[in-house]
Amino acid sequence: MSNKQAFRLEAKGVTKSYGAVHALEDVNFELKPGEVMALLGENGAGKSTIVKVISGLIVPDQGSITIDGEPVSLTSVRASQNAGIAVVQQEFSTVGPMTVAENLVLGQSGAPAWWNSKKLAESAKVILNRVGLEDIDPERLVETLSVAEMQLLEIARVLAKDAKIVIFDEPTAALSDAEIVRVLEAVKRLAKEGRSVIYVTHRLGEVFEIADRVTIFRNGRSQEPQDVKNLTVDKVVEMMIGRELGHLYPPRSQKIGETILETQGLRIPGLVGDVNLTLRRGEIVGLTGQLGSGTSEIMKAIAGTADVISGKVILEGEELDLHGRGRGIVMGIAYCSPDRKKDGIFGGISIRRNLSSPWLRRISRLGFVSGSQEQSEATRSAQNFAIDVKRLNTLVGNLSGGNQQKVAVGKWLGIRPRVLLVEEPTRGVDVGARAEIYAQIRRLCDAGVGVIVSSSDTNEILGLSDTISTYYRGQHSATKPAAEWTEPALVREVMHKGSK
Amino acid sequence: MSTVENVSTNFQDRAGLRRVINIIRNFALPILIVLVFVVASFTVTDFFKFETIRAILLATSITGIIAVGMTAITLSGNLFSLGVTATAVFSGVIYVWVGQATGSMYVAALVAIVAALVVGIIQGVIVGLGLNAVIVTLAAGSIIYGTIAILTKGEAVQAQSVDLSGFATFQIFGLPLPIIVFIVFTALAWLLTEHTLIGRRVHLLGANKNTARNSGISPMGTTIWAFVAFSLAIGIAAVLQVSQTSQIQADNLSGLTMDVVAAVLIGGTAVTGGDGSPIRSAIGALFIATTTQVMVLAGVPEATRYFVLGAVVVALVVVLHILRKAGSR
Repeated sequence: MSNKQAFRLEAKGVTKSYGAVHALEDVNFELKPGEVMALLGENGAGKSTIVKVISGLIVPDQGSITIDGEPVSLTSVRASQNAGIAVVQQEFSTVGPMTVAENLVLGQSGAPAWWNSKKLAESAKVILNRVGLEDIDPERLVETLSVAEMQLLEIARVLAKDAKIVIFDEPTAALSDAEIVRVLEAVKRLAKEGRSVIYVTHRLGEVFEIADRVTIFRNGRSQEPQDVKNLTVDKVVEMMIGRELGHLYPPRSQKIGETILETQGLRIPGLVGDVNLTLRRGEIVGLTGQLGSGTSEIMKAIAGTADVISGKVILEGEELDLHGRGRGIVMGIAYCSPDRKKDGIFGGISIRRNLSSPWLRRISRLGFVSGSQEQSEATRSAQNFAIDVKRLNTLVGNLSGGNQQKVAVGKWLGIRPRVLLVEEPTRGVDVGARAEIYAQIRRLCDAGVGVIVSSSDTNEILGLSDTISTYYRGQHSATKPAAEWTEPALVREVMHKGSK
Repeated sequence: MSTVENVSTNFQDRAGLRRVINIIRNFALPILIVLVFVVASFTVTDFFKFETIRAILLATSITGIIAVGMTAITLSGNLFSLGVTATAVFSGVIYVWVGQATGSMYVAALVAIVAALVVGIIQGVIVGLGLNAVIVTLAAGSIIYGTIAILTKGEAVQAQSVDLSGFATFQIFGLPLPIIVFIVFTALAWLLTEHTLIGRRVHLLGANKNTARNSGISPMGTTIWAFVAFSLAIGIAAVLQVSQTSQIQADNLSGLTMDVVAAVLIGGTAVTGGDGSPIRSAIGALFIATTTQVMVLAGVPEATRYFVLGAVVVALVVVLHILRKAGSR
């Protein structure tokens, strides 16, 4: 093999900082023609940032990128596309009410001005065959496809653009085993055609199945690419972990009390078998797993915002009403959703009124909200969560992600929670705010509240929890005290489940 | 603490600008109304008189009361009711009929308001189930209009043996009752939206339906309350309107729906919900009435009046929208 061959894409010395945080630090990345390069790393390690740089969404502070030896300037998505780079999105960019064939033409530079549906269907058929969608009628509406078929259609759309470099960002996160096989087949076919593939994933099994080489990211730095055939699961895990944030987490609980919440025969759509969960006073239980593992469904079921097939949840001897949030809030169940912008905060409303939103009834007499009580309690909640009390009139939408998250969690203090459920407590939150959020969650715990945290960030789960349960694709895999977990063991369990 | 400083620096750069923009946004309309008054006082003969101002307020009152009620629906994130005209006529017809039958304008007013509440709550339940408010109220308005037209055979309904004009002729300090009701109703609506549990929930629901649901706020219950406030306003306004004219016909009040929507819009309440105030809508109604009155006194033909008013509404809505975007950044 000649090592002199030109790289399809080469990035050198790429650096990107946000304030004092280095998202990427002197990152080098290379890609050969026709190879599948897997990108691995923990959340926040920098793999999604480098993908954004290559796809033109982020302009780096420093560094250079060449494609086939030619320097390129990827300052916009269009520039990246023109350079022959295509991204298969995790979120679908297909248009539901249009047909498969129409979606394949959509957004292409060479698209005809007048669509002849017959001709369109014929050319669509050719592309569909290449991604293993030969059984799909091009005239079908996209909204009638399964999730896997939509993902394959995304790939087909990329194929239609005839890109040299194709980036996949966790394409199998929401798919079943059988569906994953189809997607992986399509990826292999792309590489066989001579295209280069960048494959971002959290699943180690897939890496060993389809990747030629692996680039591992850690703390915003890249490591030398490795040939997959020289690697083992243990070696990969060892290279991934080691984030130096030990002081970020508060000390574990000293006094865990009696059981405060437990499930009885709880069955939830998307999860295999009964969910068995016990939470004790003063304890933080961490649920972890990749996207699609089912931890989010468990949280939502207990909160009363998702479907439950059967069974019940007992809070200190009382059965919880699992239909809607209303009764749960009265009984002291606080719930923070994983997507604060969507359903965790009121962006156009002031901090004060965000904080008071779940406990307005408690501070109301004869239907009138007590303004002074709202002010004093909101101030106390804000102080507890290190939110600037002079800014209580500021709209939450104007705050940084970290401060928004503090409001999203802090608003529950006022219901005097007995159990706090938090999904992805620090997604998109800077390091300083993370430490404060962890400290507050621990402080609530020490005051006798039981906490369940669900997160796909294994480092966070390990640092914050007293007890950890892992889930893999809807199935519970292990529950152990946090002290008995090591990070490699946890990462292995979550990404791999020992199937290899 | 380091993060507190962090928050402050995030704000400092834009805070001043944002404050100025919000001041302009809040006072643009009142200033404009004063401006119209000043210009009219110098150019239109006999404009600056108690009678003229009273006439403007009287002309504002009916639209204003309903616009204030409509604000609840808009704030809750349910856009507008397009059944204003039909519901008002329906309520007015009932006022006359019950007045005839019982001989009491008080009983008649009560029944008319309850009737408006009943049709409003039914629509509120349907919208609360998740249907689009515009479609539901348009359809409901059509059904109500058809029903009235059939029942009255399209003819005017008139009070004959009984005097139902008491609510219009009653005066306090020279101000007719409709004006006083308008002012009191606006003040109560403001109190309700800012300081009561229901009002605050309406606000939060419009700001973000998903977050509201996660915070234990029932979209169904809250939406119904918004429709209650709106229907109450329509019932009251209909009684005051018919008291002034003593008769009502199926095709009366044809421009009312659009006037009310325009008042809410130029008042500056966000169409998307969660941001606004009944006082804004009251001022919006006042602005429309003032401008119209000035043009009437200045002898501007009706067609031109509509054109000017339409253009002004569009221009103001655009400017307010841009200011709101800039002010919340």
